Amino acid sequence: MALWMQTLAIVALAPLLEVGVKRMKARLQNRLGPPWLQGYYDLAKLLAKEPVRSSTASWIYSAGPRVYFAAAIAAATMVPVTIARAPLESAGGILVIVGTLALGRFALATAALDTGSPFGGMGASRDMAIAALAEPALLLGLFSSALAAGSLNVGVLVRGVLQRGVSLHPSDLLAFAGLFIIVIAETGRIPVDNPATHLELTMIHEAMVLEYAGPDLALVEWASAIKELLYLTLLIDLFVPFGMAASAAPLPLLTGIAVWLAKVAGLAVVITVVESANAKLRLFRVPELVSVSLGLAFLALAIRFL
Amino acid sequence: MTGDILILCAAGMLVTAYLMVGQKALFTAIRLFGVQSLFLGIVATTIAIASGRHELFVTAALTIALKTVLIPWFLMRVIDRIGIHREIEPVLNVPASLLICVGLTVVGYRVSTGFPEGASGVSHHLIGVALSMLFIGLFVMVTRKKAITQMLALLTVENAVFLVAVGVTSGMPLVVELGISFDVILAVLILGVLVQRIVDRFESMDVSRLSKLKG
Repeated sequence: MALWMQTLAIVALAPLLEVGVKRMKARLQNRLGPPWLQGYYDLAKLLAKEPVRSSTASWIYSAGPRVYFAAAIAAATMVPVTIARAPLESAGGILVIVGTLALGRFALATAALDTGSPFGGMGASRDMAIAALAEPALLLGLFSSALAAGSLNVGVLVRGVLQRGVSLHPSDLLAFAGLFIIVIAETGRIPVDNPATHLELTMIHEAMVLEYAGPDLALVEWASAIKELLYLTLLIDLFVPFGMAASAAPLPLLTGIAVWLAKVAGLAVVITVVESANAKLRLFRVPELVSVSLGLAFLALAIRFL
Repeated sequence: MTGDILILCAAGMLVTAYLMVGQKALFTAIRLFGVQSLFLGIVATTIAIASGRHELFVTAALTIALKTVLIPWFLMRVIDRIGIHREIEPVLNVPASLLICVGLTVVGYRVSTGFPEGASGVSHHLIGVALSMLFIGLFVMVTRKKAITQMLALLTVENAVFLVAVGVTSGMPLVVELGISFDVILAVLILGVLVQRIVDRFESMDVSRLSKLKG
């Protein structure tokens, strides 16, 4: 039961993370920013509305957000959050998680192409181009950690790290740096994509979901938030899982929750600073950034063997 | 614990060297060099605390004061004055240089396993990282055209040599350290003036234009 609560926590707290980053960004710009619960208000408002769909749209269009949302939750069930065990751990490891998220992205990209509007197609092609570069780097970075633990399963991996205690290897830091860039690219944060703009030349993710309205849009936005929190949790699991509860006893569980929240908040601060201190890259320079992370991840893997 | 900090900082230096290769904005490259030197200062401090060699504290303080504060500040001032902010066209594009740097790092790491003694544990990683940074620095020096980037590459090489000297041997005598620090600051000052002269003459920092100077 406690195991399923962690997945529920990811799903429930995801909008809060988005708002938190927005608030911190606003503070850095001398603005107040949205209230803490704005994410939930938005979702409630959108979910209560009637969906508006183009008359040319087929079932693929309405299936897209649902598959995307389901894939995000499915991936979340395979990642330990506050207890060193994930609810559906036996279902698969790193490969299944990355594959499930890729399935969600595929569903959303095909749905964006479905209505035949130029924005959907443009956004989908950009998103897939970046994903094609980012996914190998993501997998290489994850493999580097998996190699140290001798298992592709995130749960086994986390328990291995907790048992061994701190033992640093240079490749840990290289893989972390590589994966952090990938997380920024995959969640559509600023050097790669701007989540706050609808300017036609620069949109990537927003262009893809431009036509959605009402509950469909709510699902897409919620799923994107879940994905972001999931990536941050994955980073925490792989590199700094310390403080995670070993069992579902109340006291370790409470510490586990507090430590997890603190770590996510820390990463959110770093993301906010990166977003505020950098300008968005031109689309053609994004491959350079992603190739940096690919290089770092590859190196992390190579150094493990030397 | 000491070993973990040393490895973390060494890996941090390697990461900053990489980001420098993948970076075209000169300001960011200078800041990355500052961070790299800060890591080097932490390495020196950690070793000083762990081994009780007090003269290393002076070395660490000099490193941090000179290389993380003074030199970046000076270079930024030079850039501000001449108003050139980007490496527009390196000889090799970024993905290709990164690929070559990955290869260089693998070579550096492989070589570091061949050292007869102390080639395991912490010092293995320190030598590996330092050799890799040395190669990356030399590589950047030959593939970038802007004088400032070449200076940063030279300083990266200097950091790499310093890392080996501090991390693997029992450290150089204080007099030698002081001499080297003085050399570095003087080199940077002279190179800074030289860069300004080049820009005055050619209205560009492109070093390859110097080959047009024929009598």
